[in-house]
Amino acid sequence: MPKASPFDPELVRELAKLIAETDLTEIEVEKGDLRIRVARTITASVTVPVAAPALAPTHSAAQPAAVPAPVASSDSAPAGRPSASHPGAITSPMVGTAYRKPSPEAKAFVEVGALVAVGDKLLLIEAMKTFNEIAAPRAGVVTAIFVEDGQPVEYGEPLLVIE
Amino acid sequence: MFDKILIANRGEIALRILRAAKELGIATVAVHSTADADAMHVRLADESVCIGPPPARDSYLNIPALIAACEITGADAVHPGYGFLSENARFAEVLDHHGITFIGPKAEHIRLMGDKIEAKRTAQRLGIPCVPGSEGGVTDEDDAKRIAAEIGYPVLIKAAAGGGGRGMKVARVEDDLAHALATARAEAKAAFGDDAVYIEKYLDKPRHIEIQVLGDGKGHAIHLGERDCSLQRRHQKVWEEGPSPALNAPERERIGGIVAAAMEELGYAGAGTVEFLYEDGQFYFIEMNTRIQVEHPVTEMITDIDLVNEQIRVAAGSPLSLKQSEVLIEGHAIECRINAEHPSTFRPSPGLITYFHPPGGLGVRVDSAVYQGYRIPPQYDSLVGKLIVHGRTRNECLMRLRRSLDEFVVDGVDTTLPLFRTLVRNPDIQNGLYDIHWLEHFLKTGGLENG
Repeated sequence: MPKASPFDPELVRELAKLIAETDLTEIEVEKGDLRIRVARTITASVTVPVAAPALAPTHSAAQPAAVPAPVASSDSAPAGRPSASHPGAITSPMVGTAYRKPSPEAKAFVEVGALVAVGDKLLLIEAMKTFNEIAAPRAGVVTAIFVEDGQPVEYGEPLLVIE
Repeated sequence: MFDKILIANRGEIALRILRAAKELGIATVAVHSTADADAMHVRLADESVCIGPPPARDSYLNIPALIAACEITGADAVHPGYGFLSENARFAEVLDHHGITFIGPKAEHIRLMGDKIEAKRTAQRLGIPCVPGSEGGVTDEDDAKRIAAEIGYPVLIKAAAGGGGRGMKVARVEDDLAHALATARAEAKAAFGDDAVYIEKYLDKPRHIEIQVLGDGKGHAIHLGERDCSLQRRHQKVWEEGPSPALNAPERERIGGIVAAAMEELGYAGAGTVEFLYEDGQFYFIEMNTRIQVEHPVTEMITDIDLVNEQIRVAAGSPLSLKQSEVLIEGHAIECRINAEHPSTFRPSPGLITYFHPPGGLGVRVDSAVYQGYRIPPQYDSLVGKLIVHGRTRNECLMRLRRSLDEFVVDGVDTTLPLFRTLVRNPDIQNGLYDIHWLEHFLKTGGLENG
């Protein structure tokens, strides 16, 4: 085991600043027993595509749990925008196609940074030609949006984060 | 032919359909609940979509979710497997409205056979033998005597409004009839407020024998012989074999011919099974299943015909790949349904499979979706896998089954493997001397402990 408190919040903060400045997505620092990985998520790239690419039988049959892991792993401190595994993430209640706008020409219901109240419209999810409104379950600030307009979503897929 | 099939099921049958699709060069979409994210059918499919939470009504039975999954993946056909939505006529119709092909029979035939009274009426119209009985309710004793004499004793008198065994009496000879009729009517009156009773032929020790059929939906149909599924527990099939130890070739040809002709007249499309009770050389229609069945591999092993492949071909508008004269039944096959249940109490045993070693070798097939490290979720059925064994003769098949069962190792959960190891060594089973009551009686009289 490493020393009493190997965790250095100052170092993490410094790395987080660095990562934002350099526009990198990940920095990993190793020092003795201690390894710190700081990662951040680019909004568009974190969503797991519904049409997940074929898992070749050769690799998937042999071992379980090749589930795409969230970017932030246990030995990292999150920085930058929240990831899909964020506790404030709103997940899709159904499989369908997500729309961020009420009509193609209209403005999006919400953007990152928007202040929302309980019941505010966030997205539409279309299934069987029916548009289902996704409303804010709580008030807060939208800190991340994981879906694009017209993107297919699975049941339970993170849509956005309200903090 | 289809470009992409969505498999609206889970477990071993999802895998079975996936294999058939892949061999036809068709892309596959797996759907799954959150409880099945690690399931083998999800990992082997070209694409997968999570359609809902663990309860089946919110996921595998959720028609809007399945349609949405088709739409976002561009699937042009859906195979429903067995169970879930496989015999749901509305699902077939909704898919049709969305321009997606349901791989199964026409919705009208699903609906027809799903209604017990309509199904029996249709069977009679098509010349399929049914249990003889009174057409309507019987109240008069002289009428009862006349009808019973026509049917032949023993007869069963049962409440028209009945169910659960109440208002049911057996008359073995004519002298029993007056008393049985009076008692059944009194019980029916007390239980259902209606003393109308039916009289029908009573079957003492029937076997369950079913005929596999394939139709092209355009008036051509063939039969693929029978499966004997008499070994049941609580109406659940446990052990299935084909050919039946009780049938000979002329009997098979006769009943198979009747069923195939009936399916031609109906214009039936795809795979189906017509189930019968069989006693003293006579067949009595029970029901028709308008889907692929759990025990279909028994027929595949003795005919070398891929039933799921044929289902897909017919749904795509192709003709059947073979004629009746090309269907040859060779050797013998037995299927054991290995469940994650305690072998004597049958208590379900979901959980982590810590070790899994399926048997192998000539003539041995294991249809299973589990693997070492897989956790059997508690929400669905307890099937671990199906062991299907083929031999040139029934005896060879039994010896091969015995050694396969002894090779099969599943650790971490209880399984019914020990039950099958006992059954395969039982003289009645070895001699094919069993009926639909045999297994229940065997278990009740402690056969498992003595074996």
